[in-house]
Amino acid sequence: MLVAFAIFGTLPFWISEIGLYPYLGAEVLIFCIYALGYNVLLGYGGLPSFGHGAYFGIGAYAFGLAQFNLSSSLWLCLVAAILAAAFFGAIVSLFISHRRGIYFALMTIAFGQMFFFIASKWTSVTKGEDGLLNILRLPADFGFAAYPIQRNIPFYWFVFGCFVVTIIVLWRVVNSPFGKVVQAIKQNEARTAFLGYNVVLYKAAVFTLSCAVAGFAGALFAMAQGGAFVQVMNLQWSGVVVLMVLIGGGFVSFWGPVLGVVLYFVARDLLGVYTDTWQLWFGLLFMLVVMFKPEGLAGIWQGIVYRKQKPRSSASLHLLVMLRGR
Amino acid sequence: MDFLLYLLPHLLNGVALGLLFALIALGFMLIIGVMEVINLAHGSLFALGAYFALSLMTPDGGLKLGIAQLLFDLPIGWRYVIVLILAPIGVAVVGMGLEVCLRRTYGKDPLYGLLLTFGAALVLEELIRLTWGPTERFIPMPPSITGAVFIGDLIYSKYRFFASGFAILMIGLLWLFLEKTPYGALIKAGAHDSEMVRALGVNLTRLRLFVFGFGTALAAIAGIVMAPIWGVRPHVGVDAVVPAFVIIVLGGVGSFWGAVIAGLLVGMVVGLTGAYATDWSLIAMYILLILVVTFRARGLLGKKSVLEL
Repeated sequence: MLVAFAIFGTLPFWISEIGLYPYLGAEVLIFCIYALGYNVLLGYGGLPSFGHGAYFGIGAYAFGLAQFNLSSSLWLCLVAAILAAAFFGAIVSLFISHRRGIYFALMTIAFGQMFFFIASKWTSVTKGEDGLLNILRLPADFGFAAYPIQRNIPFYWFVFGCFVVTIIVLWRVVNSPFGKVVQAIKQNEARTAFLGYNVVLYKAAVFTLSCAVAGFAGALFAMAQGGAFVQVMNLQWSGVVVLMVLIGGGFVSFWGPVLGVVLYFVARDLLGVYTDTWQLWFGLLFMLVVMFKPEGLAGIWQGIVYRKQKPRSSASLHLLVMLRGR
Repeated sequence: MDFLLYLLPHLLNGVALGLLFALIALGFMLIIGVMEVINLAHGSLFALGAYFALSLMTPDGGLKLGIAQLLFDLPIGWRYVIVLILAPIGVAVVGMGLEVCLRRTYGKDPLYGLLLTFGAALVLEELIRLTWGPTERFIPMPPSITGAVFIGDLIYSKYRFFASGFAILMIGLLWLFLEKTPYGALIKAGAHDSEMVRALGVNLTRLRLFVFGFGTALAAIAGIVMAPIWGVRPHVGVDAVVPAFVIIVLGGVGSFWGAVIAGLLVGMVVGLTGAYATDWSLIAMYILLILVVTFRARGLLGKKSVLEL
């Protein structure tokens, strides 16, 4: 965790030295935000959504539309994007939160595709295939001082700030009583319901939260790219975040998704230089991970750490296993 | 009368579409039944079937083997018949490869099977894009099944009649196979209780491999027949796997005729929305899925199944 902060916190100083560029850093951080929000749903709630790109896209469009029609304040536009994504997420959650597993997954695909089709056909608002262009990186106005973030390095710092805020919020959420209930739902939904928790409400809330985070990331991405495009809403882009989270190890670790995102972008930029087929290899890697190590990179790391500690704590662990097994 | 004449082609389109959807869905259902896996790669295998057919039908499909030249020299009608047999077999082999990968997820949360086939779908789509290019392709058809037919005032595509007839034939054969042969009995028993089937001394591993190959071959056949109607694109898979799921949910898991009826119903809905609001005909499917899953997840003729975990 400290390593992650150290790397991302100093990134602008060395990234140009190794042949990459600060814009890539910003993109990685944006996807980290997106993936961390998604992981609250998949890793902590055990609810697979294959249509999350839709909310990412809604955030991007909402940010652009708010900027054109509503206000030129960065904060207001960001809030509009988050609220729009959360609003649509909340509506969708009404339909899906009494489902789980496969039905849940298929419903999210259905809603995701619906939003995708609407976004590509509703040309008067979204400009269809061309995309909503000329979205500006508005200056960050802190009241006492306003910083322009037009250029890539200040923009990177801005995204880094957003990343830190997101991490603090999500860390608080997953370690709160609310987060514990969500994890309990993943492990045994019926038992959690018998304990008196309204599981449908919790699932709706966690879905809405992760949609809101996706919308936030979408708004940042619209700023980064200077436009909102319909492609991010299709099934393949929705799939990419699932790949990142799983390869990174979202099932066992809060930080897993960050690893996955970094791996994805490194693979894209390094392998992409040598071969056009890197997406194929990344897909195959994903299949291997699901087959042999569903806990992902973070799971491998934890396995190593656990093996080192094993001689010390094996007795207490044994007791724990016995107690759990009853 | 004019109103009917306007509507009739769309209704017929719906029937043709529905029968092909039913064919895709039946393969999908066989796999759910015996393996308890939702095969999200089913649509990609459907697309792969069309692309295999493309390669076998024309030299510009990219196949450069000497033996293939023998095939290209045949008259187009015979070539089509051979392709209808060979391409599904090729896809079945790919499907069996996928089943081997899937073995590690049996007995775990069905989520893992879903994730694995999702990854496989992305990989297959990417492979298709690399091999055949991202643009839309067309498979040449024998002239005897293309063109138009005239029935009274109605002008209608001959190919769609062929497609419907072929789908009916395949569904009929599948029914005979499942109901009247010992292999069909084994598959049904495997869907009912696969552990018990193994306890009775049947090689379950082989049964699963075979059923997966068989189910994907059905998807490939539907893909080949559908190709002239939908066009051959790498991402056509999603458009095929969602109807399959809608049909299974609507008809009820494990019900053969439920799937056929639901297939026709879905085909009609898509056909009729196509008549009045073309842009909405694909969304209609997703709306249908949402409505069905929200209000009656078990479907028309369904029993309790793995989906309701």
